[in-house]
This record gives sequence, structure tokens and C-alpha cells, in this order.
Amino acid sequence: MAKKVLVVDDALFMRNLIKSILTKNGYEVCAEGANALEGVELYKKFKPDLVTLDIVMPKMEELDGISAVKNIMALDQKANIVVVSALAERRLVEEALSYGAKDFVVKPFTAEKLLEVVHRVLGDGV
Amino acid sequence: MDKSYRDLFFAESTEYLKDVNKHLVSLEKNPHDDEAINNIFRLMHTLKGMAATMRFVDIAEVAHKLEDAFDSFRTKKIELTPAVMDIVFSVIDIFTVLVEDAKEERESKVDVDACIKSIESILPGSGIVIQGKSAQSVTTKVDQLSAASITQYKTEGKSVLHIEVSFVKTCAMRSVRAFLVLNRVRDLAILLKVSPSEANLKNEDLEGNLELIVATVNDKQKIKSEIEKIYEVEKANITDFEAPTAEKIIRKDVGMSTMKKIQSMRIPVERLDKIMNLMGELSIAKSRLLQISQAKEYGQLDTISSFMGRLVSSLQDEALKLRLLPISFVLDNFPRMVRDLSRQMGKDIEMEIAGSDIELDRAILDEIGDPMMHLIRNSIDHGIESPAERLAAKKPREGKIAIKVFREKGHIIIEISDDGKGVDANKVLEKARKNGIITAEEGKDFDKAKVLDILTMPGFSTKEEVTDISGRGVGLDVVRTKLDMLGGRLEMDTQQGKGTTFVLTLPLTLAIIKAMLVGLGKELYAIPLMNIRETVKLSVSDIKMVKDMEVIRLRDEIIPVVRLAKELGTVESYADDDQLSVVIVEGRAKSMGFIVDKVISEQDVVVKPLGAFLKRVKGITGATILGDGRVVLILDVVNVK
Repeated sequence: MAKKVLVVDDALFMRNLIKSILTKNGYEVCAEGANALEGVELYKKFKPDLVTLDIVMPKMEELDGISAVKNIMALDQKANIVVVSALAERRLVEEALSYGAKDFVVKPFTAEKLLEVVHRVLGDGV
Repeated sequence: MDKSYRDLFFAESTEYLKDVNKHLVSLEKNPHDDEAINNIFRLMHTLKGMAATMRFVDIAEVAHKLEDAFDSFRTKKIELTPAVMDIVFSVIDIFTVLVEDAKEERESKVDVDACIKSIESILPGSGIVIQGKSAQSVTTKVDQLSAASITQYKTEGKSVLHIEVSFVKTCAMRSVRAFLVLNRVRDLAILLKVSPSEANLKNEDLEGNLELIVATVNDKQKIKSEIEKIYEVEKANITDFEAPTAEKIIRKDVGMSTMKKIQSMRIPVERLDKIMNLMGELSIAKSRLLQISQAKEYGQLDTISSFMGRLVSSLQDEALKLRLLPISFVLDNFPRMVRDLSRQMGKDIEMEIAGSDIELDRAILDEIGDPMMHLIRNSIDHGIESPAERLAAKKPREGKIAIKVFREKGHIIIEISDDGKGVDANKVLEKARKNGIITAEEGKDFDKAKVLDILTMPGFSTKEEVTDISGRGVGLDVVRTKLDMLGGRLEMDTQQGKGTTFVLTLPLTLAIIKAMLVGLGKELYAIPLMNIRETVKLSVSDIKMVKDMEVIRLRDEIIPVVRLAKELGTVESYADDDQLSVVIVEGRAKSMGFIVDKVISEQDVVVKPLGAFLKRVKGITGATILGDGRVVLILDVVNVK
């Protein structure tokens, strides 16, 4: 059975890009969230195998990317979160990793890069 | 706190630390040297009290811990094993750095907590207990002291590894990758050191590789594969980590560093009392003089002037003694330096010092440390062979460097000898010829005694390969220049395969020298006796011409002569049938004769430096005033021509 991925990003373009890369390579994108709040709610609902999470998103009810990481980790200690970030957000990425995010990709990224990170996090072999 | 107290504190603590090091070196040789242990214990106790008074909290605390440690050695609660000894050495080094930092009033980079922890690790009942992540905040700080904790980890059955992680070229946010690596490694090992530090990783992106030192029970392969599972990690190189010795971390520049100048000195009260006493008598004499002049009792002048003359010369003697310090001031630095350097080079060297209580003028002491260090370093570097070579040459495994200081005929002699491989004169000559320092022809005449002259020629030593072959020559010209400056002499005696001895001859003081007064026309000049080999009387016909040089033949030696009057631009006053007085002077490479009108007498002269505007006059080092008020120039004969 294909592994389920939740894609959280405020930009539709990025969601589409990630979704197309993943589905073409055998993953199922079970849901898409456009902000941190949606991300957390969708996580509860779908219990995906992996989440790609844009670390910089507009705040929604006091929730930003970092708090999304914290909340998801609180829901599920084994959650596999891959942070998506721009080069300038090094500190945020570090913070996210310190809260338990598993890995990160830096925008702009290639399909191979994203897949490689996802493979590794899910232990799908290299 | 008053500045004078500060100065006193630093002057004394520097002295005490020197003593501590001296005792440590002897303790290392003989761990049962109770006297050394007691001495260090006492010194640490004193240092602790001094530092606490000055409110140098860190220094006081480290001293306190060291005092505890030595108390435990004293009462035999802890055995002084080599491992413990290493820790003690490194802590003393750190302690020295702390004192230096406080002196320079700069913020210390020394991690006092780690330092104290490492002392505690050897104290009874308080071994380092580091388990899991809780101790990381401490252990990641460990820097200078990893040597101490490493020993500890090893005894706990952990291996200490060095890990170098490289990332792929396209890796973005390397420092965040590094962060992931750290997280992964933390699950497998205890991080002892991270380079760049975690704080640096947070502040700026990583450019090169990430280096870690960890303690772990896991095997290398497992850690390697775990790290390489991380995305964008190119490779993890894992090797066993060798405990860095303190000297590698702190004393990298040991032996290269220069000696510190003496800034303050302790003077025995007795000497000051003597001076005060003489001053008292002098003022009595002054009142008496006043009396005589008021009462016009001029017949008394003779008595009073001879009395005052005696007083003044005693006063001068005493004042000069104030400048004297025992040479141990310099020598005490050497045992520790020799220990550190020889360890670094993998050699076994024993140091012997004799005559360290001989007193020298402070100004000379200030200058002599560096040249001596140079020569000792040379001996360690090039003179003494490696243990294997020594054994092969049927010599004792342990090399020996001996320093002997003694007085001889108004001079101080310092002998620095090693029992190493000696200097190969032929190779030196060959090389000098190759480098064009001497011509092939000159090379033929050079006997072995002149090898030192070649070695000390500027330019000889700069060629690296020369030192490799000859084993000597590193900056020897600097040593010689320094000695010339001090009015001293450098000699060398070397026997291939047996060793080398350098002999430094120094004046007792720079303020008063023995000099020969010579007359040139109406002028008088002084030539330092130190430079004079002999004086001879010749007739003008004894002067021969070789090429365009005037020379004389003295016994079997051809010596070039210089007409001093001509050289100094005064008038020659001898006629052709005159008997000539020639002063033979030991020059740099050859002896040289100076033709003077007459040789007058030998006497002590007080050297007065020339003013700054005359400092660079070639051939003149200073001036002196004779009893009759005449000013006489002192010649720097080595450089007159």
C-alpha cells in the first residue's frame, strides 16, 4: 500500500509541485493544508506516514510553522515531519528540527532531492 | 585593589608557578619525591590565599583544588600515576594561562568549570560521573581538558573517537545538516567536543567539515553508517582519538616563545640597609665638608676627600649589587621546557643544572634567556638523537643536557652541553661552500675550530636543508649577535658522536667593565678586555702586505692589522722606526690587530650609554668618564672595521 503524505504549504504552487513529485513516485498525497492550523487538524484526521511542512506560513489562530511542528509532535511522537524552507530561514529550520522534525529540504529543490529526503525519513531504502 | 599590590601579586605568582613547574618535573621523574609534593602543596596554598585576597575568584578556586589534590598525594590517598601526572601538568598550564589572563586584564577563555572537574576526577571519591545527555552541557564545553576526561572515559571502557563529517557540495544549510548529525550522534555517543562549536553553528553557516570527538560504547562502523544515513552527508571518517597532551593544546609554541623580561625584583632588606647606612655616613661627611669650608680648615680636605672617596665607591658597589639576581631566575624555566619539548619530539632527555645561585646583572639576565633557550632548543631538536638512534650508537637511552654556570676571572661562564651526535664539520663546510657563504678556497683553510664561525654567519642558518644535515645552525647568528651586544663571547666545542658544548662568556655586569685604555695621539680610547686576546709590541717592518691588506705574523698565525688612528680619523703619531703596540682582538671569524700609539693601563670603567643621536655610530658602544674628568669613548672593536 502506498504511503500517505500530508502536504502543508500556503502556496498552491508548492503544494501542487510536491504533490505531483510524490504521486508520480508511488506515494499517496492524502490531504493538503494551506496553513498551520489546517495542517494540525488534517494530521489528526489522516495520521499520515509523513508531513511536508512549509516552515514560514501566515499565522492562523496564533499557529505558525514552528507551532505546527510542536503540535504535531505532541499528537504523535513518531511523526515524520520534513520541513520545507527557503535558504534564509536557517534558524527556523534548526528550531523545527530541535522540536523533532526529521529532516528538511531547501527551496528551490529538485524532484530527486525531495524524494531522497522522503525516502530516507521513511526508511524506504536509498 | 591598589595597582602596586596587583603587580606584586603577579610578580610573585609567576615566580611561584616557575617553582611549581620545577618541582613537577622532578616529581615526574620520581613520583615518591615527598619534598616536591610538599613544596607544591605549600605553593598552591600560598597562591590560593594570595588570589583570594586579590579577589581573583577563578584562580583561587583552581589553586584550592590543586591544593586538595596535592594534599591527597601527600597523605598517599591517591597514587601519582603517569595519567594523574598528565592531568596535573595540564591543569598547571591552564592555571598559568588564568594568571596571565588576569594580569593582562583580558577575559579568560579558560573553562574553569572543566578545569576543576578534571582535578576532581583525580580526587578520591569524586570520579567524573558522566552519563547520558544530562552531562552534555559540561562535556561539550571540555576543550583544553579533554585529556583528563578522555583518560576517565577509557577507564570506563568507552572508546574515544574522532569523527570528521563531510557534506556533498550541493548541500544547502550545512550547519542545519550538521545539527542533524549531532542529534543522531547524541543517541549513540557522548559528545566531548564539536568543531565548529554548537554556538558557532547556530550563528553562521558551516563552510567546511564538521569535526566531533565523542566517547562511546558503540563501534565505529555502526556510528559511521548511522551518520551516513543522513541526507547530504558525503562521508563520515572515524578514527581513534589520541588524547591531546596539554602541550599540544596550550603550549604549541613552547620553546618558540620568548622569555619574559623582569619587571620587578625582590631585593634583600640587608642590601638596602647597607645602602642606607652608607648614605647616612655620606651625609655626615657632607656636614664635615661644610664645616671645613666655613672654618677654612683646608688642611683637613685631604682626609675628608679620601673618606668620601671610599664611601662613594662602596655605595657604587652596593648599588650595583641591587641589580644582581640569581641566574636561577632564567634557568628555572628550562626543565619544564625541556620536558615538554623532548616529549613532543619523542626523545628522552634529562636535564642537569649546576650553579643556579650565581648572580648576574638584571640587564644581562633579561637578555640571556632567549639565546640560551635557542641553544637548548637546538640541542633537543638536532643534537640529541632519538632513543633508537642512541641505543644503536651504544649510548644510554636517555640523552642529557647540562647547564653549568660559574664565575671565572670577573666573567660569568655558562656552559650548555649535550651528549648528542655533535656537529659534522665536513658537512657544514661543504654546505657553506655550496651556499656561497664561503669560497672553496676559504673552505680549505677553515679548521674545525672555525665551524662555529660558519654556523653563526647570517644566511647560513636560513637554509632549511642545512639544519637537517648538519643538525645545527638554527638562528645561531642571532645568538652570537646577542652575545656581542652584551659584550660576551660564544664558543663551541663539538665532537662527532659525542656531543656539543656551547660556552657563553658574559661580563658580570653591563654597568662596569674591565677595559684597556689605549692612546691615539692626544686621545684616549677604551677597549673592553673581554675582546682582547693579547697585546704585542712590533716594529713597523713587521707589517707585511698581502694583496692590499696589512698583516702581521704572530707565531704561526697571519693576522690582519688595522691602523686604528686611520680608521677613527685621528692623527697617526708614530714614526717608521717606532715600536708599534698592537692590540690583538678576537673578531667574528678571525683575530685582528689594532695598531695604537700606546697601551696605557687596564681598569674598571663605568659604561655610560651614548645619547640616542650617537647610538648608531659604528665602532663605538659607549663612553666613560675617567677620574680626572676626561671623557673616553669605548670601542666596539668587533665592528670597528
